[in-house]
Amino acid sequence: MTTAVRPARYVEQVMGMPVSLALRGRHTDDAEARGAWAEAIAALRDVDRVFSTHRQDSFVSRLGRGELTLDDCPPEVAEVLALGELARLQSHGAFDVRRGGVLDPSGVVKGWAVERAARPLRALPETDVCLSAGGDMVCHVGGPASPDWRIGIEDPHDPTRVLAVVPVRTGAVATSGLAHRGGHVVDARTGAVPDGPDVAASVTVVHDDLVWADLDATAAFALGRDAARWLRTRARRTGLVVWADGSTEVVG
Amino acid sequence: MKRIVLWLLSTVSAVVLMFGYHTSTSGPAATAQAPVGASLSTTSTTTSSGSGAGGGSGGTDGGTTTTGKTAQTRWGPVQVQITTDASGQITDVEVVDYPSGNGEDQRINSYALPKLVQETLDVQSADIDMVSGATVTSEGYLQSLQSALDAVSA
Repeated sequence: MTTAVRPARYVEQVMGMPVSLALRGRHTDDAEARGAWAEAIAALRDVDRVFSTHRQDSFVSRLGRGELTLDDCPPEVAEVLALGELARLQSHGAFDVRRGGVLDPSGVVKGWAVERAARPLRALPETDVCLSAGGDMVCHVGGPASPDWRIGIEDPHDPTRVLAVVPVRTGAVATSGLAHRGGHVVDARTGAVPDGPDVAASVTVVHDDLVWADLDATAAFALGRDAARWLRTRARRTGLVVWADGSTEVVG
Repeated sequence: MKRIVLWLLSTVSAVVLMFGYHTSTSGPAATAQAPVGASLSTTSTTTSSGSGAGGGSGGTDGGTTTTGKTAQTRWGPVQVQITTDASGQITDVEVVDYPSGNGEDQRINSYALPKLVQETLDVQSADIDMVSGATVTSEGYLQSLQSALDAVSA
């Protein structure tokens, strides 16, 4: 199977980051494709209105300040917090949506939101879909004859380089690291960014769905030197850990 | 114990919910899942606010491990195990039985190991469809490989 057919591409800025879509197959540039893309973007904007910690008037900001209770919020807020709680338990506390008394479920929201936003796109018949939000993506192929999606994994030490390639048919890829936004991910147990010569510079996780690919990439990164060891204990994940010294370790 | 059972139920619900994402993309059966998520969360947030980093590194000193009932999902059986400490606080949650083996599962699992590339690659020669990297902000995007990819076929 050749990959000679170039996908049709769409890009939009949502939630403060670029969202990129690639489509191949039957619906790439017609009314159905554009309609599904518009639906996906609308879904992400809705999520942003509810969950953004940058908007003072979002439900999550008001919940964090104690102005609202969980019952006052849309049910999705409870769903996201429940996922965050599972991730906290499974990462032994390294991942936590509450850090220093502040509620910030952003680490859950992105993967969860993209997974939801991809629904109308995946419903396009005989169409291959790859939807990425700021480097975390959902992949889907429309049939057995479709080629794999080829996902490049960025070098955290040189974002102009690709370190590895992973072929994905239907699944998700997420990467956590500091390459583009310093100090973004902290170990919730200490409140500090993992530091030292033997911590992870980035962690990429490949999994069935983006909710857990994203959660696990973030949790593994927060675990620092234990990143690869912990990721190996996780069922049905493969991945790549790039260490601070530039060495790499494939997990799976 | 009642709390544990509640938790167990909610954990199973959460897992079913996650598997439900796949269901919802290809079938009409999905709308019932939001209320499930809503009901489980109340429990979990209550617990989380009081617990801090409880449990440490999964140490099960005097802990109790309880295995939940198997939940049937479209992808196969899912079973969850929780560990609690002496005070009934949850210290760990593991999914002990994932769906495996059937055709649907093969389909959703069709991805492979990352393969390291030897030399510096530019986007076209690497034949790459999308780039996975640490959170790309709008400013960083302009210099990124992904922006080059998006421009290639525009």
